[in-house]
Amino acid sequence: MHILLVEDDEPLALSLATAMRARGWRADVSGRGEPVPSSLLKDDYDALVLDIGLPGIDGLETLKRIRAQGSFLPVLMLTARDAIDDRVAGLEGGADDYLVKPFAISELLARIRALVRRHEFRRSELLALAALRFDATARRAYIGERPVALSARECIVLQYLLLKTGQIVPREQFAALIPGWDAGTSDNALELLMSRLRAKIEPGGVRLRTVRGLGYLLEPATAV
Amino acid sequence: MTDSADAGASSLRRVLLVWLLVPLVALVPLTALLVYTLALRPALDALDRALTDTAVALAQIVEVDQGDPVRVSLPLSEQTAKALRADLIDETVFAVGDPQRHLLAGHSELLALAPVVPAGQWRFFDAALEGRPVHAAAHGHPCGGSEQVCTIVVAETLGKQDAAKRAALLGALVGAAAIALPLVGLATLAVGRALRPLRRAAADVESLTPQRLEPVDAHGVPREIAGFVHALNGLLARLRLAASAQRAFVSDAAHQLRTPLAVMRVEAAEALAAQHSPDVHASLERLHAAAERGSRLAQQLLTLARAEGMTVAPTLALQSLDLKSLAAAVADRWLKPSLEAGQDLGFDLEPAPVKGYAPLLEELLGNLIHNAIEHAGHGARVTVRTRSSAGCALLSVEDDGPGVAQEEIEQLWQRFRRGRDARGSGSGLGLAIVADIARLHGASTTLAPGESGRGLRVLVSFPLALPG
Repeated sequence: MHILLVEDDEPLALSLATAMRARGWRADVSGRGEPVPSSLLKDDYDALVLDIGLPGIDGLETLKRIRAQGSFLPVLMLTARDAIDDRVAGLEGGADDYLVKPFAISELLARIRALVRRHEFRRSELLALAALRFDATARRAYIGERPVALSARECIVLQYLLLKTGQIVPREQFAALIPGWDAGTSDNALELLMSRLRAKIEPGGVRLRTVRGLGYLLEPATAV
Repeated sequence: MTDSADAGASSLRRVLLVWLLVPLVALVPLTALLVYTLALRPALDALDRALTDTAVALAQIVEVDQGDPVRVSLPLSEQTAKALRADLIDETVFAVGDPQRHLLAGHSELLALAPVVPAGQWRFFDAALEGRPVHAAAHGHPCGGSEQVCTIVVAETLGKQDAAKRAALLGALVGAAAIALPLVGLATLAVGRALRPLRRAAADVESLTPQRLEPVDAHGVPREIAGFVHALNGLLARLRLAASAQRAFVSDAAHQLRTPLAVMRVEAAEALAAQHSPDVHASLERLHAAAERGSRLAQQLLTLARAEGMTVAPTLALQSLDLKSLAAAVADRWLKPSLEAGQDLGFDLEPAPVKGYAPLLEELLGNLIHNAIEHAGHGARVTVRTRSSAGCALLSVEDDGPGVAQEEIEQLWQRFRRGRDARGSGSGLGLAIVADIARLHGASTTLAPGESGRGLRVLVSFPLALPG
């Protein structure tokens, strides 16, 4: 993983870069926004972590410039200013996610991973989480090299959950996803499908959680 | 407050009314008396003239025989006497006496009552004749020689005079009332109107709160009071400035704290995760917990400053929101901390449309869930509910933890106040923030035991937003 970190507060930049390097990531640090567009052209980054409050051009202006040069790189904005206005401005300006300081390092790293994963899924047909892999073209799932037998509905549900890894997917979205199901389909039918799917995929080091009253969440089993 | 102030202090209204109405009450009877006197005089003069006319007619009939001695007679026929006495209302009586005051004709008692009148002159007098009051005119009629004066008296009862007096009195009273009553009414009205801006300004000041220190409207306030209102507005402006400076300070301080706090959180977490000597493990854990707590506190202070700032001067537009989707959006952020606390965070969501500020409402719900994480304990079941019912959009967070003693419940809304048996590292700001944000949205908040009688349920009741 190769990250460009744009943060003018040196202690924070150092802490974050150190934490990333400790996980075997490559992290480049810049204290200003101006050189970022040309840096992105020179190096192949997986994600950009961009502070909004920068000297010179601020994070929002930097974001505008890199989007203007046609980059679709995942961008996570950091803000210490008022979360409310910055979030609106950041997401409207083309950021993929935002975090308000002070954040937990685990949260930052998880968000970067999720952004990169989603970005890569858009480019490849192979979805993966822990030892679980899903080939979207062939509609086949594997744990390691061992194939997992899935029904057509389970395939649709798993693919969607993998795309939304780490996010709660509301029940209604599954009803809309599965052919022949609608809002009238009982929650019990969905729960039955999920418990069968859970038994098949959880040996692959993933966890499929039921969020009571809301929906389902797929995450690596190591998380909590 | 206003009642006790009224008791001892002078009332502007009372002073004005006393100074206007007391002279009015004194002057009106005097005016009425004057009008009565002025109106009565010509009427009485006319009545006197009628008496003198009769007396003059009688004088024409007196015959004087210039012999020696002079003889005076009154050849008055019965018809003439009747004609002279004729009157529709009053009874008229006359008497004519010769120079020796011997009765020539008429009423002898009347003649006796008449004063001595010099020749050619008139005297008017009131008397009682046969027990009845009369008004009379006496005339000295020259007859014969220089010293010879006949007395002619004409009297009539007081019917016309009484009628004239009654008419004059009625006129005076009606006139006085016609002036006095509108004046009293107008004075009361004028005082009321003049003091109304003062009452309005007082009501404006009464409605001010520390969060809402708007200037009092000086428009239409009289000059005399405007000075006072301007001075008050000056004071309010200085208070507003001080309040916003304080909020800005809290907000800036929290902002400035964020970046160093971020470093502390990152470094503490990294140090804990890295290889370290067992001696420092406990220290690192305390450091990590303190960094987490400081971070949360900075966020809460910011939210408080924000909510208070919004009350004074809204910087965001109200949005049409559904508490259901808001809760679903917040779920992502809070599921993990809840799982880490070993709790079962669940949802029971039905549509509940409101008008509000999404970021603040997310903060409100986040504080309620965080509260449950902090206080409901390991293994607790926490449920977020949204409903609409009877004109209200309801949001509640319920847990089946140890709950809070009934007598402590109300105190929990105060800042930095925590339950006696509170666990965890809460600042005691969470519920105060919930209350502030709820107040900003016109919502009411209730703290009560959960449905099963266990745990704690915080219910926030918003006014339901009408569709469209």
